[in-house]
Amino acid sequence: MGKRPFLGWFVTPGALCALGFAAAMAAVLQYAFRAHIPGSLEVGGFTWANFEGMLRPLYATVFLQTVWLCALTAFFSLLLGYPLAHALVHARSTAWKSVLLVVAVTPLFLGEVVRTYSWLTVLGNSGFVNGALLWLGLIDGPIQFMFTRFGVALALVHVTLPVMVIMLAAALSHIDRDYERAAHSLGAGPVRSFLTVTLPLSMPGILAGTGTAFAWTFSAFATPQIIGGGRVNMVSNLVYQLGFSSFNFPFAASLSIVGLALTAAVLGLLRIGTMRLERVGT
Amino acid sequence: MAAEPRPALQVDGVTRRFGAVTALADAWLKVPPGEFLTLLGPSGCGKSTLLNLIAGFLEPDQGEIFIDGALVTEVPVWQRGIGMVFQNYALFPHMTVAKNVAYGLAARRVPREEAARRVAEALALVKLTGMEERKPRQLSGGQQQRVALARALVIRPKLLLLDEPFSALDRNLRGAMQVELREIQRSLGIATVFVTHDQGEALSMSDRVAVMSEGRIRQVGTPEAIYRRPADRFVAEFVGDVNRLPARLVAVEGETALVECGACRLSVPAAPLAAAAAGTAVDLFLRPEQIRTAPPGTPGLTEAVVAARAFHGDHADLHCDAPGMAQRLLLRVPGHAAEGPGARLALLPDPSADAVAFPISG
Ligand SMILES: Nc1ncnc2c1ncn2[C@@H]1O[C@H](COP(=O)(O)OP(=O)(O)OP(=O)(O)O)[C@@H](O)[C@H]1O
Ligand SMILES: [Mg+2]
Repeated sequence: MGKRPFLGWFVTPGALCALGFAAAMAAVLQYAFRAHIPGSLEVGGFTWANFEGMLRPLYATVFLQTVWLCALTAFFSLLLGYPLAHALVHARSTAWKSVLLVVAVTPLFLGEVVRTYSWLTVLGNSGFVNGALLWLGLIDGPIQFMFTRFGVALALVHVTLPVMVIMLAAALSHIDRDYERAAHSLGAGPVRSFLTVTLPLSMPGILAGTGTAFAWTFSAFATPQIIGGGRVNMVSNLVYQLGFSSFNFPFAASLSIVGLALTAAVLGLLRIGTMRLERVGT
Repeated sequence: MAAEPRPALQVDGVTRRFGAVTALADAWLKVPPGEFLTLLGPSGCGKSTLLNLIAGFLEPDQGEIFIDGALVTEVPVWQRGIGMVFQNYALFPHMTVAKNVAYGLAARRVPREEAARRVAEALALVKLTGMEERKPRQLSGGQQQRVALARALVIRPKLLLLDEPFSALDRNLRGAMQVELREIQRSLGIATVFVTHDQGEALSMSDRVAVMSEGRIRQVGTPEAIYRRPADRFVAEFVGDVNRLPARLVAVEGETALVECGACRLSVPAAPLAAAAAGTAVDLFLRPEQIRTAPPGTPGLTEAVVAARAFHGDHADLHCDAPGMAQRLLLRVPGHAAEGPGARLALLPDPSADAVAFPISG
């Protein structure tokens, strides 16, 4: 630093941002331990009450529901993302590669609200799916997708898929193709060589992808808000309702803190899992 | 005549193109049981392409491939019954040595006890007993090489394929592995196709060598035949050191032709000169050890001046300048010979020299 004083100027914006974030976090943290004064934006003295309140079934269910939806989303985006990533990495023609990449990654650029509204036109009672099924005569009345956990999960998978595909593709592209070729030369067909070689070697990518998908989904807001329509709530929807409908900032803050801690815990567990994998394998 | 034994490998007119590049053009090859055949050639000549076609990792555009008498052109890799050793070994990093070696047996559903016995045998064969529970990354390069070999051999393949297996090893280890591979291969009597761009390795290890260049097999023969009677200019220059001298074709008499170089007449194989007329200029090729020195003034191939001398213990290399020759000539003389830089010499062909001559390429 001493010889290059100008470096200090480059660091300043970053340092300011970090300071801002830290201040915001500190504010949220201290709000979480303050008493709520109904009908007022002012907060009272120190209390544990917010965290105790969370144990009430009404709120505990939302937490469980969120964790369940995150797990479902992570699982199904893995299930869908793996073949996509595999095809993307192993595609022979560049044209086919580009098509796969576009399909896999576009959801990332659509913006959450636009993407979620487009699901309305697909899943709604007069939407594309129900319209098609009715027209084919496969169903008599529209199937309820909107405001169901299934609908929310479907839209969440769509949001998470690009991240999953990118992380899995990164992991798969780092596996030397010679391993697969060696397996083939030893008499293993495509299924056996996939199950015994490619899949285990891509395990770190699977863990990283699932962990990220889980954390990514935990903070979902617009999707459960619009598709869930208040009937399928996740932690962020609860925070929103408490903060902006009841103006109970302390409780909203404590929910956010617990949500954050939970996400961190899940990521930490996955990290340990990955480290163990690395010690045993590769 | 007794019926020829069924070849372990037969490649019939195989061609493979990548876009505009013809990686392999009309290759014909027959490997009898138990033979160690080496594909030798410079980088990019199509050695790996041919090996991958045999293994089934690539499909030919034309031609057929037979392994142990069976047509396998359309058979997938995992049903060809081959054993393959990769340049980077490709040991499965998440499996122990024992699991790696057992992989091909598991794929063949060999019963557990028999598999354990065969894995132990294979590891003993490559002198790795006691390493069963190690992971590949806990082994040295040479040990990984042996595991790869054990893994390929334990399935008792009909054909063993190796693509530059020693290129990652240091020189001493490489020499030891060459001897060891050859010993194992001979004791098992397994037909082997070995790829290398190292001509020393090819000459020292092989029963026969197929020299390749630009997608074509130029010559197939024993190391001695390749060295002493190269079929064309490329083989002569690629395999071993060689001197090129200007000469003139005198006459063709049946199998041999007579060429004149300086004051000397030498007989050479006639086949490469079939299209040349008497009196035309040809290139004469002589190995460094096939040229003798004599006092200046002796009628011979040419006169030369020693420019540099490199001592190698049992022999010394003399780099000589000769009038009218663009390239320096290389002579291999006994280590005790006295000629040093600046010495004038007359050069004569060794009476037993296997000289070859080729038309000047146009
Ligand atoms: N998959 C491929 N796609 C396009 N061209 C290829 C492919 N594989 C090989 N080639 C080309 O075919 C030719 C022969 O390649 P090959 O790998 O067989 O050479 P090689 O003799 O094994 O060389 P090296 O000693 O460098 O390994 C080269 O010109 C190479 O560029
Ligand atoms: Mg090669």
